[in-house]
Amino acid sequence: MSVIVFGLVQLVPGDPIRLALGTRFDQETYDALLARSGLGQPLVTQYFGWAGRALTGDLGVSFRSGETVTSLIAERLPATLTLAFASILVALLIAVPLGTLSALRPRSVVDRVATVLSQIGISVPEFWMAIVLILVFAGTLGWLPSGGYVPLTEDPGGWAQRLLLPAVVTGVVSGSVITRFVRSSVLEALGADHVRTAQAKGLPTRQIFAWHVLRNALLPLVTVTGVQLAYLLSGVVVVEIVFAWPGLGQLALQAVQSRDYPVLQGAILLFAVVFLLINLVVDLLYTAIDPRIRR
Amino acid sequence: MRSTRSLPVVVAGVLLVSACGGGGESVDTGAGGGGGGGGGDTLVAAVSAQPDQFDPHVTTAYPSFQVLENVYDTLVVPNAEDLTMEPSLAESWETSGDGLTWTFTLRDGVTFHDGSEFDAADVVYSYNRIIDEELSNSFRFQNVADVTAPDPRTVVITLSQPTPNLLERIGSFKGMAILPENAADELDLTTEANGTGPFRLESSDASRTVLTAYEDHWGGAAGVGGVEFRYITEPAAALTALQSGEVQWTDNVPPQQIESLTGDDTVELQTTPSVDYWYLSMNYARPPFDDRDVRRAISFAIDREAVAEAAWFGAAQPNQTAIPEDSFFHTDYAPFQPDPDQARQLLEQAGVQTPLTMGLMVTDEFPETVTAAQVIASQLEPIGINVEIETLDFATWLDRQGQGDFDAFYLGWLGNLDPAAYYQEQHQTDGPNNYQGYSNPQVDQLLQQGATETDETARKQVYDQAAQLIVDDVSYLYLYNPDVVQAWAPGLSGYQIRADKAINFETVELP
Repeated sequence: MSVIVFGLVQLVPGDPIRLALGTRFDQETYDALLARSGLGQPLVTQYFGWAGRALTGDLGVSFRSGETVTSLIAERLPATLTLAFASILVALLIAVPLGTLSALRPRSVVDRVATVLSQIGISVPEFWMAIVLILVFAGTLGWLPSGGYVPLTEDPGGWAQRLLLPAVVTGVVSGSVITRFVRSSVLEALGADHVRTAQAKGLPTRQIFAWHVLRNALLPLVTVTGVQLAYLLSGVVVVEIVFAWPGLGQLALQAVQSRDYPVLQGAILLFAVVFLLINLVVDLLYTAIDPRIRR
Repeated sequence: MRSTRSLPVVVAGVLLVSACGGGGESVDTGAGGGGGGGGGDTLVAAVSAQPDQFDPHVTTAYPSFQVLENVYDTLVVPNAEDLTMEPSLAESWETSGDGLTWTFTLRDGVTFHDGSEFDAADVVYSYNRIIDEELSNSFRFQNVADVTAPDPRTVVITLSQPTPNLLERIGSFKGMAILPENAADELDLTTEANGTGPFRLESSDASRTVLTAYEDHWGGAAGVGGVEFRYITEPAAALTALQSGEVQWTDNVPPQQIESLTGDDTVELQTTPSVDYWYLSMNYARPPFDDRDVRRAISFAIDREAVAEAAWFGAAQPNQTAIPEDSFFHTDYAPFQPDPDQARQLLEQAGVQTPLTMGLMVTDEFPETVTAAQVIASQLEPIGINVEIETLDFATWLDRQGQGDFDAFYLGWLGNLDPAAYYQEQHQTDGPNNYQGYSNPQVDQLLQQGATETDETARKQVYDQAAQLIVDDVSYLYLYNPDVVQAWAPGLSGYQIRADKAINFETVELP
């Protein structure tokens, strides 16, 4: 994996040193910078140097800022974690009730409204939704700040106020995706043989629903939530930019733009690890939810 | 302010919180001639991006200089009105008869933020650091043979050839800042600062950079207790923050809203033409663009007014030469009026087969260039030139520019103060930034003459001649100077908008 991460980043066209110099070019300054950055060495040497240090937790130093990559990531991790989990919370609060309701009454008014809403949620550009929310809630109404981030430990009220709008925007998008999964998996579970059997046995509807439908519908929900969470944890660039949210997405974007290889490699490596971890957690949850998988 | 010659790379890095060199808590601001004694209030300024780092000699990013402008000083600074150089850390200077020795007398009673005294050794250290480590501004010292400190109040710069623009070279922006001796060994300059400016660097993280007023500043304490730079990339969000009172100042104004904001009493909006210029340049190594008639045909076909309108919503002044009217070195010359017939005739004269295809390289780093390129394409189509717009990311763009792999490109140069710098580097045969490959012996000779002419009026005449040749030959097809656009809360006083885009909050007072 580390080879892929390293290789991918090196494949991005564009010379970071030239970029750091801007359009003004001066051979001596260029050579001095090249020597300092270590980019003049053969790629294989660079790779083993990087991979070896990465194993010990040293991801190198940013070309642009001179800061260590680990400190850059650590600085932005809390903001990203906060937004990702808040968004998933919003998403589930939207998706589970809405999806279940539509599945219980397929083709009813509720179902149709839910379908339209989730379609809108998926297709409205995040950028646009974010700007509209800022203009309304920070501009016209003046209820919330227009963006930014303060740590929870510093100012819990300000933290919550600033978190609300970005979490709603990303939550609505993720929630719209999840709603459709909830609807189809609940529908499928409702039509399963064991549910018909349970109904035939005369079990109370509530019990059937809780034990036989929801539990079976939970597996796809956990999967899709895991995927959404991994996506959110790798940074939601557009929302971060509009709301001035200092997350990993902005860091990665800046690193791409300036060809800051060490930061980019560090960020991609982190995203890959996050993805693996979430998959692991999802798999573990499977066994907790469905005892058959344990065997 | 942006480094004079480098088009900045939009910020990339991040800075970790770090307090700057503590100490220096002395009192007594009584003698200060400046602002109102630094009340406890903090000015919150919305800027569009995060500084990449705070080492003034290393960074080339404008967001860093927005902060550093308020933290560090240089020997001389550009005057806010006409950008001529005036005293700062140097109180006065003298030039020897042969123009090779410049003697600077330093200001007395200046202290760094840690309380230590400023003297000539600090200047020698700072300049030698840039020269010896070949940092990005070392080119500014290319004529400098030696920097010495005969006594603590005197710095002598010895030159290898007369350099009439030496003051511009050492003072045009805070990339030439004076650090305390051995600062690079004692501090982590990427995150810490110890300057002589009106504010000290307190902290910086991924959301904001915080400065606090330095009570013992030589020019008197600042008018506010501190400045918080908040990074708001999205212009609509920055404007909302200003209107709702979350911030009191911003330079991130959506250009399409300038007109509607002009009569608005919730914000104070000001504009002034900048000393930035945007231009199109063609590759002399690729026929038929090596043909002067072809380049002139293109220059006749372009309506600069329409390009400026499209790119900046009118917040730019069309110009056929480099810098705007109110600058000392402005050349009043505009031989190209939009004339498609003449353009067609010139193309015919050159024997060019139409339709001719011309690749035009632009970068999404500066989205306005993409819009402008579309307008240019539509203007060139009627004369039989098919413009293929290539939108590249900036790193790739720079690579291809460096390799000469283009028909034509479109970009700008920012913060142009002295023609010795920008004409020579961009238009002299084999000049370091002459990517187009222009070569005109007559221009070369004039530029050589201008670089050593010490009489200002004579210098101006020399550069006027050179500028006319450059425009006639279409080495650069100069297009326009964008306006500096800044907005602040009504009632905020003491702030001055500047053509060089330096942002200085020393004398600002909150409403």
